[in-house]
Amino acid sequence: MRAVPTPDQEMLRETMARFAATLAVNSPAELAKIDRDAAWRDLAGLGVLGMRARDGGVPAASAYEVTLAIEPLAGALAPLPLTGALLAYELLALAGADAALLADLAEGRRRIGLLLAPDLAGLADADAPGAVIFDGEGADSVLALAPGNGGAQPVILAVEGAAAMEGADLTRPLAVWRPGAGAKLVGAPLAADAFARWAAFAVALACADLVGVLRDGLAHAVDYAKTRIQYDVPIGSFQAVQHMCADMLVRIEGAASATRYAAWAVDALPAADALAAAHVAKSWCAPAGEAAGEMLMQVYGGIGQTWEHVAHLRARRVMLDRLLFGDETHHLNAIADNRDAVRKAA
Amino acid sequence: MDYLENAEEAAFRMGVRAWLAENAPKDWRARYPTEDDLARLHREWQRTLYDGGYVGLSWPVDYGGRGLSATYEAILNDELGKADTPRISFHNYLGRAIFTYGTEAQKQRFLPPMLRGEIQWCQGFSEPGAGSDLASLRTSAVLDGDHYVVNGQKMWTSGAQHADWCILLVRTDRDAPKHKGITCLLAPVNQPGITVRPIHISDGSPETCEMFFDDVRVPVTQRIGDPGAGWRIAMTVLAFERGPADVGLIATFQTALAKLETYAEERAIDRDPQIRQAIARTYVIGEVLRLNVVEQLSLRNAGRPPGPDGSVARLLLTQAEQALRSLEFRLRAADAVSGRAPDVLANYLRSRTISIFGGTSEIQKNILAGQVLGLPR
Repeated sequence: MRAVPTPDQEMLRETMARFAATLAVNSPAELAKIDRDAAWRDLAGLGVLGMRARDGGVPAASAYEVTLAIEPLAGALAPLPLTGALLAYELLALAGADAALLADLAEGRRRIGLLLAPDLAGLADADAPGAVIFDGEGADSVLALAPGNGGAQPVILAVEGAAAMEGADLTRPLAVWRPGAGAKLVGAPLAADAFARWAAFAVALACADLVGVLRDGLAHAVDYAKTRIQYDVPIGSFQAVQHMCADMLVRIEGAASATRYAAWAVDALPAADALAAAHVAKSWCAPAGEAAGEMLMQVYGGIGQTWEHVAHLRARRVMLDRLLFGDETHHLNAIADNRDAVRKAA
Repeated sequence: MDYLENAEEAAFRMGVRAWLAENAPKDWRARYPTEDDLARLHREWQRTLYDGGYVGLSWPVDYGGRGLSATYEAILNDELGKADTPRISFHNYLGRAIFTYGTEAQKQRFLPPMLRGEIQWCQGFSEPGAGSDLASLRTSAVLDGDHYVVNGQKMWTSGAQHADWCILLVRTDRDAPKHKGITCLLAPVNQPGITVRPIHISDGSPETCEMFFDDVRVPVTQRIGDPGAGWRIAMTVLAFERGPADVGLIATFQTALAKLETYAEERAIDRDPQIRQAIARTYVIGEVLRLNVVEQLSLRNAGRPPGPDGSVARLLLTQAEQALRSLEFRLRAADAVSGRAPDVLANYLRSRTISIFGGTSEIQKNILAGQVLGLPR
């Protein structure tokens, strides 16, 4: 048992942190200044888009390593549809989609987003009313499930006519999907275990995004508390502010511990156990994210309530992460059901 | 990154489990009803474990240990917790003071008998006027030839009524800054001038003690480290207080939670959505604690000594245990309040001490704010 990153994994994190720094968003106005197409090409060049490419059935990078790659980008508030792209790739790879399509995605020539149920708790059926496009920026199509198929059969839908929504997260816009022509079955239906593994991966990525946003947010808030002077002293010397920051740290470190395990479990444990680890991670991360998002804004005082400030960008991104692939109620119920089943079997 | 036990670790776990099935005391709560009985049992049990090769796993072979990584301590504690055995001395972390700062003669004298259970320790740090502000302690030690003469009072010396030795923080230099004038001494508990009195906590149990020192003579050879080094020694030792032992608490926690679920099912309240969510939420806190502790242990095995970020695990532990006992109390409130379930009331009241003993939650947050986040004083 050695639950620490390897030197290679540390290096991956550092590489991604350096790249993420070039995409950092420090205010809503800066969102427009990011060259998103160039950033996407860079992601392809770094190999991030193809991290889950299979070689002999084995992914090039573990799900844990994927979280190491996306956390710093989330921390920078990079406005990129990366989570959706990685999850679309994963689902297509699991379904056995053809190599040309996967290569197009890995090399950034084509993007595919995800079609989510209206409550954002999971993939939508292709005919679901009110389905929402997640991470569809620059995508010509989205991935959904074929309705009434009995299994998880991925289907690709064209996104023509989608209407942007005024969602909470300004860095990852959502859109309403308008049903149209051109649904195309892709690959074969996933076995239940494979789809459970995909669902666990999806939850782990949502949690990793949340952890990334909050961890950098806490670092910035702490820096502010060290330099903002009131009553002739830094506000960070007041115990009320210190304890608020310590509270955030405990919530975030707990979230990070649970997320690392859930991400590792995606590849390393039986599918049911991987999903159970995901339930735990999201059950902790969702409320932790809500609380820490509020506290982040609180540390900055009045300035943290203004439109121009970055604090609400973080709180907003966490709002989406909290709901993405299920909020705490969803996952706590799943835990309760699992524990019932285990008890009744004993 | 790997959370799975390797072949040796897994084999060790199986070995512990088989050994416990043979050797763990059965039905011990009924057979050892009084507190004195339990103290005797703890000593016997530690000796049995020692003879089985299961004490001091991460201690060096030279001092009676096994020289293994902290992971093995965690596995052992997990199995002890799952098997619901009596506890063994939770004070062995105090031995870290002797191991890290003691002379070779002191290590040989104290560490092997500590692991065998022949020396039980208690911790004489806090005082009536030095709780959270430990460095303001006033118990004095004045040099008289080759002895120190100790006068003063210690508080929260848990286990002192059954301990053989006490590790003491005393003030040896009144003129030095308060963190610099503290020295660490080792004193036998049963000697002239020392009086031990129980302190009963809110559930009525003699959970801890106070100790009075009246011209107690301690040979200079029983000083650990240099004069004035006491604060640094205390901080090192307290960082070791948490870690592998927490894994045992987590196993106990999960057992208690499962009992609560069975109770909810028997009372047909297990379908109540609020109760289901509350139980699942409590389970989640325990899991997050477990995962955080596993990572801390892995860091320790990778060569990083325990640091101030251990306060994260401490606060998670507090949250987990208090959430569990609050939930238990909530489900059985009428029984607890009306005296039909005294154990539920006691568990609840005892859980309130967790955010106090070993450093209050407020102190833990001060540590995180100051030493981890670097916020100014």
